[in-house]
Amino acid sequence: MSNTLRPYLNAVRGTLTAAMCLENFSSQVVERHNKPEVEARFSKEVLLTPVVVSRNENEQVLIEPSVNSLRISIKIKQADEIERVLAHKFTRFLMMRAESFVVLRRKPVAGYDLSFLITNFHTEQMYKHKLVDFIIQFMEEVDKEISEMKLSLNARARIVAESYLTQFFA
Amino acid sequence: MILLETSNKILEETLRERFNSGPEHLLIKLADFDGVTYQIATPESKTQLVISMAMGCYDECQRYGADAILQREYGSLLVSTPEPGFAVTLKIDLEQLPATPEAKEQLVQQVAHLKRNALAAPFESAFVAQCEGRTTDLMAVHYRDAEAIYCQAQADRVTVIFSTVFKEETDRIFGKVFLQEFVDARRQPAIQNAPQVLYSAREPPLEIRGQPGLVDDENVGYVTFVLFPRHYATPQARNEAIGRLQLFRDYLHYHIKASKAYMHSRMRARVDQSLKVLNRAKPEQPGANKEKKTASGKTFRRM
Repeated sequence: MSNTLRPYLNAVRGTLTAAMCLENFSSQVVERHNKPEVEARFSKEVLLTPVVVSRNENEQVLIEPSVNSLRISIKIKQADEIERVLAHKFTRFLMMRAESFVVLRRKPVAGYDLSFLITNFHTEQMYKHKLVDFIIQFMEEVDKEISEMKLSLNARARIVAESYLTQFFA
Repeated sequence: MILLETSNKILEETLRERFNSGPEHLLIKLADFDGVTYQIATPESKTQLVISMAMGCYDECQRYGADAILQREYGSLLVSTPEPGFAVTLKIDLEQLPATPEAKEQLVQQVAHLKRNALAAPFESAFVAQCEGRTTDLMAVHYRDAEAIYCQAQADRVTVIFSTVFKEETDRIFGKVFLQEFVDARRQPAIQNAPQVLYSAREPPLEIRGQPGLVDDENVGYVTFVLFPRHYATPQARNEAIGRLQLFRDYLHYHIKASKAYMHSRMRARVDQSLKVLNRAKPEQPGANKEKKTASGKTFRRM
């Protein structure tokens, strides 16, 4: 792991652990409603200050805490056209499976590639530290997966070109 | 399965089966690359096999001498007036097949290369002209709706230009990666003798500028092959080169699709893995009463 990735992920881990302090909280505005406040935004006083942890301008994490829910948005590194397409394909693929991921949001927050929404119900059902582990591991893997896909595309292209061209003087 | 075959597999297998078993009534329609369709039928009697091919660009090939090539390859099998709706028709009498299995197999191969032979016309006339020191006009074959092959013999070389359309953004970007590798591959000492490949996106190469029907669009790419006499001097090398060049577009797009499929299967595996990590966060339900295993492999339930 490169030496700037480690402190970046550590900062995200620390912020997430601190922010994941959620309790059941019914809506103050609508009777008998219980909604993630960070999404509903009905009452200002239950929202906390959002935090951006940023490695550089292309890799950032936005963490928006509130009294009963927490939204994490990730911006994935996209250095060139290929990485942009691969990242787009991959995030789309994941978000179509948001149902089975439980904490994944179907649409990212504007300006980011992927968002998670963790509510107090999730933290009641799951271990908090393991949830944090999941997010961190996920961030590591997305980068790794995209660079591996890019490498394999280039390797394939090379083999394809070589085997086509060698035929001409067989 | 990196390379594609120049013959049509279904046609080949159908003929081989027909040649080696009893007569049977038959009506098969099948497709090949570039919108070519075949029909194999026995309209009059079970022993008269009629193979017809429809090809969008056959009239263009005809202009460059496709009839002569087909006459040379198929001789008496060729029917002078093709079936309605088709460009070429061959008729094979199953009672007068060659006797030896080798000769039969040769006939199968020959017929299975029908599309290749028809499309070979512009290439062959350019190669022959160049070998004799002549130059030719630019020969265009619009083998697909929006895509064409341009072929021209020049003083010391033959240039073949493909225009290709990428239907979507991902294809276009993947195609760019692949074509860049085609351009770069020649730097390696092992394949320095291969034809030179040039690639330009959107902007058509100088040779075909001003041709009718060129589309000015982000999704169009042009690939130029520059062939020198060493690539087509001997008849064997020439046949090889024609077969390979024709399939270039199909080869490229086939591999673009294949790498997309590979990415897809990778992503699927990755999603499964991530899900496992997420499920680890859920504590085991105490009331689940799961089946457990002992060290010896027996299972039991804790009551």
